[in-house]
Amino acid sequence: MNYEQKENMEQPKILTLDDDFSLIKRFIDGDEAVFAELVKRHKEKVRNIVYLTLSSSNSVDDIAQEVFITVYRHLKSFRFESQFTTWIYRITINKCKDHLRKRNVRRIFLPLSEEEKEPVLESINEDSDIKEIVRSAIATLPDKLKIPLVLKDLEGFSYQEIAVYNGM
Amino acid sequence: MNKNYTDKELLSAYIDGELSLNEKKLIEDKIKTSLELQKELSDLKKIKELTSGSVDRISESPFFETRLFANINTQASNRFNYKKWIPIGSLTLVTLTLMVVLKVNPKLIDNIVEQQKSNLAGFYKENLQPLLYAADLTNEDIFNFAVYQELPLDSANQQILKLGFDPAGTEFFEIKNASNISHASNLKSFVAALDLNEAEIEMIDSIIGSYSDQLSSLVLVNDKNSVAINPNIWNTRKVILADILAFAKRFAGQNYSKILPTEVAELDNKTIMKWVSDAKSVKANQYIFFTPDSIFEDDFVFDMDEFKEQMENVKDELAELKEQGVELKEFRINFDSAYGNHKRNTDKSKRYEISVNKDQIKVNVQDFAINIPEIDFPDFDSIAIIINEATKNIYPVIPPSGSVVVGKNNYNYNFNSVKPRNKKGEVSLDSVMHQRNTENELKNNEQKKKYQNQVKTGPDFNDSLMLKQNEELKKEMDNLKKELQKFRQDFTKPNESDSGQSKKSKQKVNPVDTDEIEI
Repeated sequence: MNYEQKENMEQPKILTLDDDFSLIKRFIDGDEAVFAELVKRHKEKVRNIVYLTLSSSNSVDDIAQEVFITVYRHLKSFRFESQFTTWIYRITINKCKDHLRKRNVRRIFLPLSEEEKEPVLESINEDSDIKEIVRSAIATLPDKLKIPLVLKDLEGFSYQEIAVYNGM
Repeated sequence: MNKNYTDKELLSAYIDGELSLNEKKLIEDKIKTSLELQKELSDLKKIKELTSGSVDRISESPFFETRLFANINTQASNRFNYKKWIPIGSLTLVTLTLMVVLKVNPKLIDNIVEQQKSNLAGFYKENLQPLLYAADLTNEDIFNFAVYQELPLDSANQQILKLGFDPAGTEFFEIKNASNISHASNLKSFVAALDLNEAEIEMIDSIIGSYSDQLSSLVLVNDKNSVAINPNIWNTRKVILADILAFAKRFAGQNYSKILPTEVAELDNKTIMKWVSDAKSVKANQYIFFTPDSIFEDDFVFDMDEFKEQMENVKDELAELKEQGVELKEFRINFDSAYGNHKRNTDKSKRYEISVNKDQIKVNVQDFAINIPEIDFPDFDSIAIIINEATKNIYPVIPPSGSVVVGKNNYNYNFNSVKPRNKKGEVSLDSVMHQRNTENELKNNEQKKKYQNQVKTGPDFNDSLMLKQNEELKKEMDNLKKELQKFRQDFTKPNESDSGQSKKSKQKVNPVDTDEIEI
């Protein structure tokens, strides 16, 4: 590989703190188009956190949309005291918690037949895949255990980050 | 990590890579020496693999951004959707603005109302024409207006403008349906009583006639059933009266004091001129408007000259229409339908009070009338009767034909040379009129008192008074007849009364002549 070929190769994008911060600064300065870039960078992480937290694909996009709308509304008041990801994941966890709380409240007032179907262990039989069994088991965990587990084992966040996201 | 954590917890953190170097070395040392920890570590690693491996990543959402930005735009537009706040915002803004404006300019509302009133007034003021012009006022009408305070508003005398006093002494004028107006030939009687010559008669006619246009412009009407009356009409009436008095005083000499009440006769020219001057000082362009919507007072300038010019132009057309037999309808003020809503109106300044009913519009004018004392005139009808009767009685005294030879020299005494309204000693017309004036003054005073007590019977009062006066006059005329009879007898029998004329008495009087002397 000669020098020219090296020049023409697409350089790998290295996501740094400055990248998010610079985009946010541009947004604050009035360039709202950069918000699309922030969405592009973080949407899948946010969607997966929601998905794993809820243990369901229902409402994932709705909650993820709410997360980014909240970010959009409050981005101009971002104080650059923490990473952008810390901020957005904390918002995501809070939205998930809100959703779970509302779902639990709704469940009280709904007849049994109309209750949202939850993944339950009864559905697991001998033929079930072991991954499915583990997923079902995680789904049955209470939120305060499930969310840190998801964030650590599934998304690889540190204990410190998990503590922050959960407002500890 | 906190050193109180159990080995199992430390193992979990060890797998997660969350231990410090010291903690890591410590747990690794323990693991080397403990089979139990080694087994535990092995199990934890398997669970870790299972949980990590159980994760199904959610599939990408291709339209996530599209939906997101659509939502952001929608929510942004909803957030700043000020349209729904427009009505409330506008109302609040208007209220606040009004509060501020009214604070700064408290009379704003009044001004707006006045402006609207002015616009409405403008509508009703359009095309106002003098009603009295159609009535074709004669000098007689104007003279009667000055004396009797009644003016016909149409040629058929169906509606009249009347001035008067209410029981409280406040001057008022009213337009009402006329019962009848019977003041005929008063001007003629007045002129005769003053014994004016031709030039003087022409002059008084000219003076009275000069008020015709002025009077006409004081009552205006239009096709919108608006009636505009100038309150100055009271003063105008007084001015006309004062002018007539001034003329009478100047040209009628002694006759002036004979026909007029003492109080008037004593008036000097200066006083009369002051009345005229006072009346002219009153604002002449102020009218009270009666409209179907409201009654209001406003300034209005009516250009009589322009109107007359227009009338000159339409005169020919009117003449043509008359020739063609087209009857022109006379304007009549319709009290009932147009003004039924106005029960009672009083303006803010209390300068006038208006009442309207189905038969009349009545306006009390407290401040408009100038201070000219009311004058009680003699009854001109009775003056006319006196003059006629007296003239009638004197005229037959004249031998109709031939001359009577008197005395030796056949002196012809021509009876035709005796003038009916002439010299001393024949019939004392002056004394009769003077007596009548005194009586009238007393009667007028009584009339005033009675009027104040019985206002409602006012219109009938004049009629009854006149009848009474006529009856008394009849009695007096009977007495006069008797006196004349006696005078005739004395005249026809000179021998019995005067012996020095015995020869004259022998002359026979033609019986035909005697018959003619009979009354």
